[in-house]
Amino acid sequence: MELSDWELVRKCQSGEMSAFQELASRYHQKVFMVILGLLRNRDDAMEVAQETFLRAYRKIGGFQGGSSFYTWLYRIAVNLAIDAQRRQKRNPLDFRENMDDLLESQDEVARDPFAEVHDRELRENMIKAINDLTPEHKAVIVLRTIEGLSYKDIGEILGCSEGTVMSRLHYARKKLHDKLSSFL
Amino acid sequence: MKLLKKLPSRVLLFSWLTLAAAGILGAAEKQPQTVQISIGTILAGNQNDEFDAKLKGMEAQLKVLKYRSYRLLKNESQTVPWRGEKAFEIPGGRTLTITPQEFQDNRVSVKVRLTQGQKPLLDTTVKIPNKGNFILGGPPHEGGALVLSISAAAQ
Amino acid sequence: MNECERIEQSMERWLDGELGAAESEVVRSHVDSCANCGAVEQRLVKLERALGNVLAAAAPRIEFAPFWSELERRIDEKTPWHKDLRERIHGWFAVPRTAWAVPALIVLLIAVLSYDSYLPFWRSRNNSATVVSIDAYGRSVALLREDESKTTVIWLYQNQEGDDEAAEETPQPGPAF
Repeated sequence: MELSDWELVRKCQSGEMSAFQELASRYHQKVFMVILGLLRNRDDAMEVAQETFLRAYRKIGGFQGGSSFYTWLYRIAVNLAIDAQRRQKRNPLDFRENMDDLLESQDEVARDPFAEVHDRELRENMIKAINDLTPEHKAVIVLRTIEGLSYKDIGEILGCSEGTVMSRLHYARKKLHDKLSSFL
Repeated sequence: MKLLKKLPSRVLLFSWLTLAAAGILGAAEKQPQTVQISIGTILAGNQNDEFDAKLKGMEAQLKVLKYRSYRLLKNESQTVPWRGEKAFEIPGGRTLTITPQEFQDNRVSVKVRLTQGQKPLLDTTVKIPNKGNFILGGPPHEGGALVLSISAAAQ
Repeated sequence: MNECERIEQSMERWLDGELGAAESEVVRSHVDSCANCGAVEQRLVKLERALGNVLAAAAPRIEFAPFWSELERRIDEKTPWHKDLRERIHGWFAVPRTAWAVPALIVLLIAVLSYDSYLPFWRSRNNSATVVSIDAYGRSVALLREDESKTTVIWLYQNQEGDDEAAEETPQPGPAF
């Protein structure tokens, strides 16, 4: 029978490394996707994802279960990603180039070339528009869109109220729509 | 601690810590034990236009009196305990007695008595900013007038 | 506020699944029957879909084995004591800037109110003595405060009837204040 997150946490706290490995296996992809959504660079996202789990391992002894494990883990991830964003000094063009590399490396079925150009332009402008958001606004968009988390969970992760999550989402969506309306 | 997890609690905690630190530092600012009283005895006159270079720092203050010349006769400093008395000799057989009264709001309150022999000429109580001064003048001397710069510095 | 404006305000929460059942039904009914609100819904759905495609599509699948192998290596690696200390201190003080704004304002306020203790040049600007009491024993006294140099002067005039000391000293005109 599959153990719950909390049961695995208790086992970690007793020193069972295999329990932490199981938790890492459950969440490594999700954490990576959230961080990639914030940083838009694969290498940086991988580095931050590793750092997230390392921090989680070191701090798991102090986890009391006040929140769910995954909101606790995402909180670490988002804070590290926001710090990393502030340290990033690359210009937006690098982001787009990174993203294009990533997207081109995916296996894509051949499509209508006009649609392809339109999609490419939408992608490029979408990425730029996302990057123009503040780290806090980017975080709510990523957590809501990629993970489908509730306002309550997002608020717990970011350390703000549900009302703040709602207003940040509204602001971010409005900004994105204003910049991308011609493509949508 | 859960207290530290919420932003408003942290703001409140840090604010109280800051206020507490300020309060402690303020209380720890010891009441000064003694006062250094400095008396500058200056002769002001109109016989020439000489200005003593040693009085350069007081030039703006002395110009208020509109004499033509100023010469520093004596500069004396003494440490005086609170409520203790100290007498300073002033030319012309005069005595200036200073009694520091209290220190409050960074100001020193001093009682000043000017006498000539046994005769009192002036009694006054003045609150001076710490390390500040005031001017007491008027007694005639050598064709001019004595100007006394009285300053107090709490220690 | 009309019905459409009210519905538009709730639209995002409805699409995000944050509304209760009753409220959701109200929004759903209105959207189904109102062309404008229907268009708003479509716009939001399109944006969300495009966002999801871009964000989710960009994330490659990462293999767990190499990820765990690298993580294990980092866990086994001993952290330098200074880095550990820095992380602890950073965790304590890494609050949003607003948390520091209030204590910073308090410190600024205290500094402004205590400026004269710390700024010598300011002290001289504030060198205003206050004469609390004065007794010249019948003699004329002038009090003067000059604002520019912040000078306080007590001037004792020689008594014309002559104090005993007048026999030795020739009275001179007082200062031309």
